[in-house]
Amino acid sequence: MSIRTFKSHAKARTAAAAIGIVLLMQLGTATAHHSAAMFDHSKTITLHGTVKNFQFTNPHSWLIVMVTRTDGEPVEWGFEAEGPSTLLHAGILPKSFRPGDKVTVVANPMRDGRPAGALISVVTADGSVYRTGPGAPPARRAPVSKE
Amino acid sequence: MDWDTQIKRRGRFRIRRSDLGVIALALLASVPVGVFAQSSGARNAGSTANTPDRPAAATPIPDYYQVSLQAYVKMKAEAHGGTQYRRDSYGKMPDWSGLWSRDLSRGLQFDTKQSGNGFSVPLGPITADLTPRYKAAFQQKLREVASGNEWDQLSDCLPAGYPRWLTEPFLREFIVTPEETWWINEQQSEARRIYTDGRGHVPEDTAHGLWDGDSIGFWDNQTLVVHTIRVIHGEYQRSQPDYSYQTSTVERIHMVDHDTIADEVTVWDPKGLRTPWHVVMQYKRVTDAGARIDMWSCEGNNNVIRTASGSSQFILPGESVTVTRSYKDPDTFYLTNTQKKLFAQDEAEDIAKQGGKK
Repeated sequence: MSIRTFKSHAKARTAAAAIGIVLLMQLGTATAHHSAAMFDHSKTITLHGTVKNFQFTNPHSWLIVMVTRTDGEPVEWGFEAEGPSTLLHAGILPKSFRPGDKVTVVANPMRDGRPAGALISVVTADGSVYRTGPGAPPARRAPVSKE
Repeated sequence: MDWDTQIKRRGRFRIRRSDLGVIALALLASVPVGVFAQSSGARNAGSTANTPDRPAAATPIPDYYQVSLQAYVKMKAEAHGGTQYRRDSYGKMPDWSGLWSRDLSRGLQFDTKQSGNGFSVPLGPITADLTPRYKAAFQQKLREVASGNEWDQLSDCLPAGYPRWLTEPFLREFIVTPEETWWINEQQSEARRIYTDGRGHVPEDTAHGLWDGDSIGFWDNQTLVVHTIRVIHGEYQRSQPDYSYQTSTVERIHMVDHDTIADEVTVWDPKGLRTPWHVVMQYKRVTDAGARIDMWSCEGNNNVIRTASGSSQFILPGESVTVTRSYKDPDTFYLTNTQKKLFAQDEAEDIAKQGGKK
């Protein structure tokens, strides 16, 4: 399934461009527990969707996102990231991604085309940027608004 | 002649066999604790180490560990028997408290002299001097990886095992005491125990392969010197060579600066290496506020399966697959076909050397 089949919008494109510069250093997200052979590290995809849940756990965390196809059908995507200690080091907290959050996700896709990938970065609706992988810089969170 | 009769002939009083246990206990209770302590080295009062069952320092070990043992013994002699720390001199021991993590700036590989990092820059040629069989197996492994077939025993929720353990990322912690040092990695909650209480290695009759080996050590001032034997065969890391059960190592672990601990590792493996392999691992201090090591449950979120071709694959949310599950031979179920062949050759080599006896 090609990324071209998914909706995109200008804001997300801008966010993706902003983080694109670090992508070369983000290859090989899955550094432990299993081979990364199922991912195509020569490609990146950018998807926009709504968080279903964030599994913050060992040996790997998974961000589950509902993405709407161009034909209107919702598709459940899974993005694998590292375990809690590595994510915490990168500034990604258990509640960084809550069900219902709108997110833009950049990932290395699966070689077999199934809806999953190795998570590289996430941009949330408030503009916060979260990156994973070896050498990932700390999360850049949007200023907290006064409520 | 039975027990009762034997005892009766030696004196006027008849002692029943059923009384012997009580007598033995009474005698045991009358022996000063110091007798046991003296049999295995002087100890501080209140020590909790298991003193009576420590193997003697000179416990014999197999021939294939002798070269590394001699290197270790030489280091110990040069250190005048090693620095003797006790509970009352604990404050003089190195302070390795805090959390540490492998420096991944140059990659995850065991071969610290190999070019590339395996992430953004492909790995260069391996620098280990491999034997022809292990070299051929390594080349076969790289071909399989290139074709997308790669399996990792971690996906079976098994430990990394030593010496691969040295390469793993994540949080690490040292627990240093005069008698032993625990070196913990959060991955699989895997901990090495390095005994520095003067004991020798586990005797041959009770020894068996251990995921993290059998480690003894001594302190050379602020450096922990470690001799490790009896590992279980495995791989140094994904996309790295394999090692045999005859592998042994000598490590010199020391603090380079406040934020860096180095482990200078020399590996001997008569089956896998033609010459010893020397690498230096570096571990960096973790300064994340509130970071701590927690119990790591591998099955907490493990949806990785091995495909028929030997590769790793996910079962994704909403998917259901039928997995054919057969008996898991504990010695081989987690190995790749290349490893099974390689390690079977090791065994065949041993059997041939012993005149056909297993």
